[in-house]
Amino acid sequence: MTPYQQIWTIARLELGRVFFSKRSFWVYILAIFPSIIFLGHALEAGLKKRNWSADRVTSAATLNQVQTGMTDDQVLALAGKPISDVTRKRRIRRDDEDPDAEKQPEVRRYVMYFDGKKRVDLRFEDGKLVARNTHELMNFEDDRRVYATMFQFFYLRLGIFFGCLGIFINLFRGEMLDRSLHFWFLAPVKREVLLLGKYLAGLIAASLIFGTGALLSFLAMALPHDPTEVAAFWQTIGPGHAFWYVAAAGLGCVGYGSVFLAAGLLLRNPILPAIVMLIWESINGFLPDVMQKLSVLHYLQSLCPVPVPLPNDMPAVLKMLLAPAAPSSIPVAVLGLLAVTALVLFAAMQSVKRLEINYGTE
Amino acid sequence: MAVYRRGYQRYDGPTTSHFARLMVMPRFSWERILGQRFVVILLVVSLFWPMLCAGFIYLSNHSELWQGFGGGIKKFLAINGNFFSIFMNVQSTFALILASVAGPGLIAPDLANNALPLYFSRPLTRWDYILSRMIVLLGILSLVTILPGMLLFGMQASIAGGDWFVHNWFLGTGIFIGFTLYIAMISLVAMASSAYVKWRVVAGALVLAFFFLLAGAAEMVNSIFRVDWASALNPTYAINAVWKGLLDVEIADDKPGAWECATVILGLSGGLLALLARKLRAVEVVK
Amino acid sequence: MSAPEIVFDNVSKFYGEVLGVNRVDLHIPPGITSLVGPNGSGKTTLMNLMTGLIHPNAGVIQVRGISPYAPEKLMRILGYATQYDAGPRGATGYEFVHTGLVLFGFPKAECERRAWQAIERVGLTAAAKRKVAGYSKGMRQRIRLAQAIAHDPEVLILDEPLNGLDPLVRAETIALFRDYAAGGRHVILSSHVLQEVDVFSDQVILIANGMIVAEGQIKSVREEIHEHPSQFLLHCRDASRVASLLFAEPHISEIKLAPEGAGLLVLTRNREAFAAALERIALSGIDIDGVIPTDENVDALYEYLIGGGK
Repeated sequence: MTPYQQIWTIARLELGRVFFSKRSFWVYILAIFPSIIFLGHALEAGLKKRNWSADRVTSAATLNQVQTGMTDDQVLALAGKPISDVTRKRRIRRDDEDPDAEKQPEVRRYVMYFDGKKRVDLRFEDGKLVARNTHELMNFEDDRRVYATMFQFFYLRLGIFFGCLGIFINLFRGEMLDRSLHFWFLAPVKREVLLLGKYLAGLIAASLIFGTGALLSFLAMALPHDPTEVAAFWQTIGPGHAFWYVAAAGLGCVGYGSVFLAAGLLLRNPILPAIVMLIWESINGFLPDVMQKLSVLHYLQSLCPVPVPLPNDMPAVLKMLLAPAAPSSIPVAVLGLLAVTALVLFAAMQSVKRLEINYGTE
Repeated sequence: MAVYRRGYQRYDGPTTSHFARLMVMPRFSWERILGQRFVVILLVVSLFWPMLCAGFIYLSNHSELWQGFGGGIKKFLAINGNFFSIFMNVQSTFALILASVAGPGLIAPDLANNALPLYFSRPLTRWDYILSRMIVLLGILSLVTILPGMLLFGMQASIAGGDWFVHNWFLGTGIFIGFTLYIAMISLVAMASSAYVKWRVVAGALVLAFFFLLAGAAEMVNSIFRVDWASALNPTYAINAVWKGLLDVEIADDKPGAWECATVILGLSGGLLALLARKLRAVEVVK
Repeated sequence: MSAPEIVFDNVSKFYGEVLGVNRVDLHIPPGITSLVGPNGSGKTTLMNLMTGLIHPNAGVIQVRGISPYAPEKLMRILGYATQYDAGPRGATGYEFVHTGLVLFGFPKAECERRAWQAIERVGLTAAAKRKVAGYSKGMRQRIRLAQAIAHDPEVLILDEPLNGLDPLVRAETIALFRDYAAGGRHVILSSHVLQEVDVFSDQVILIANGMIVAEGQIKSVREEIHEHPSQFLLHCRDASRVASLLFAEPHISEIKLAPEGAGLLVLTRNREAFAAALERIALSGIDIDGVIPTDENVDALYEYLIGGGK
């Protein structure tokens, strides 16, 4: 039996455990949660459109005449019956200068119109229109930006991070805690081969779970939109976007997986480096360019086809701080990640050779 | 041969009170937790922020020190609900890390080593067990939350005088109730994680994952559905909103309010308690 | 061809500041060798060192010429039934044995044949499809034994293999050890009960506080302890007369009347001189009905060698 065959045999034996253990249930939930939310959004948007269209549609031209400063009565007279109208009385906070002073509650009225495509939210304070916001009920481009934000902020930073933490730490540290690692150590295989076999099992499982999750949520995001618009998307940039999202998810598993596998081997409490890494990856966006390049997330973000838009209302200073470092080119990002992974795996191999079975100290 | 009329006599002398029995486990646990180097370091580090806040209170109450700085500084240095809300926000992070370090070690080892039958074969119910474990965390976490919070409030009240206290006593009760609620919530999260995975190390990660993932999931729902109500599902936001309600601090108009958030926290706590009750049984599960 | 001995050359192992074993020099020939010592004496440490589960701080170990640092070679000739109770999570007895064999690279059919054969040898065929976690202590012992012998190793190492076995299974298991060792293979097992292993071991290694205190056959070990007085029970009718005669001998250190008039308990520092003295007394016409060595049993030896450690 060659070492490659042994690696594959170990991976095969481990795969069942990784895929079907009770703990993997939560990893599946993490992976498919965005798809469920996108599907829910599709359902909700469809229902809203049907209900509001049946209820009342106000023409866009009429709604364009609504200006801030108008009274609520004027707006209602102009635009007619809204699809939603809520009034709230708001208690006024005590004045620190004059704590005993009596204050009248503030009246706020929230009125909502629908022009057949867009929702217009109006906020009145003490009878005057103070804010007007427009939301397109279904906008493919908007949703793609939302997907990009979700993918980078939830999927990469949290979902894949914690999913890999669960899967890869389990491979060695989990077996130590279960007092079953000696079973593997008594097999006629080199420790390095054992490590690679287990890593491969974790990688296959994590990549499949999160790659499929990324693809499913991408499809779910596109599902409710205008079929011609979606078809055009799939004929042009769509497949490329889908590919790179799945690739980023897979490479995320490659990178985070190696780090957590090594952490599980090198440290008795791998949670501390996990906390450090979580903090590092979270504050990474605030760091100088060079430092940003020392994170897994930077390379993964470089692979993402749509950059994450920064909120319009974000303070300018914060915007400047959060501006991502110039993304690495795709070959650099992929090779960089693979190089870091190889280095981490090499350190893990050195560690596993010295690893002793000493369950009493766990 | 001696013949005894009765071979066994049950002990019928005085026993310690129920409360004293309840405190047996916390006594040992506190000793063990406070013996951990990381916990001690964390406790020391967590004192820096209250000390900074104490300095701020001192400055705020000595107007002679910042005369000539203009009106803006006066507003900035005001000691009000907003000030205590920020203090609680920062301090709660230390409490969370402390709970993720100290909490999982309370239940996971008992479950992993099948020790529950030992506990429950004594005059100790499941709820006593949960309560005594919560007391452990209440004791430890109050060192970085309630205690410094009340000291700061006391300091401000003593410097600012009786009039300030009469108008702001609710800040003291707000800090106390707010932190107690928070401790109860993170204790339940820590204990439920510990009972769910049975591994001390993984349970620590689960505590952090609980807060980070729910925050991420809530934001995701908000951005995909273009709503704001999902913020209530973020435990960090929810407890903050409750604190703001207690401290009379304004909450952004379109975000869920204190009552909605309090309801979510109660529901969450109920769920965690149910999980604990399900997991903490004096049986060994074959896997 | 591999060297037929297991060699420990000046091996020491420390767990932090706690001593595991200290300066162990051993040459273990094929046959049944029992490691005997009280709990915490270092038996499991020696076994874990042999199998590479832990590594020595000093010294060299060779198992039939193979270093424990080369598991890919060592585990082909070695089977180890550990004391660790846990198997792979959720595995049945059959899966537990079969999975181990798959890693040896045997073809599928061969893995199945060997797994069933090993399970049958330990008498667990009926329970093979049940989860190991649901097994009794004795069944877990046996399935671990099955896993250790399934690939037919040259060296079989067993940590407390007779723990938790009922008398019938114990006899069968001992027969299996004998059968295994008869073919020139190593069978190394540990126990803290010397009497238990004395009857079937070719040699015994006594270990206490991490140090080897004796090795060899029990009887020869006993004979080499010259400085320790030997005790005999003399059955005779005229006990007081025999006692007075024996007191004249310089090698006699103590004589006591045995309880309920059973005879005399005599403590001597020289067994040969004692035998000669008894011969003289018997030839003088005094009846001596029997002479029984009372401290040649394993308990006395254990007590002497390991003493307070027991």
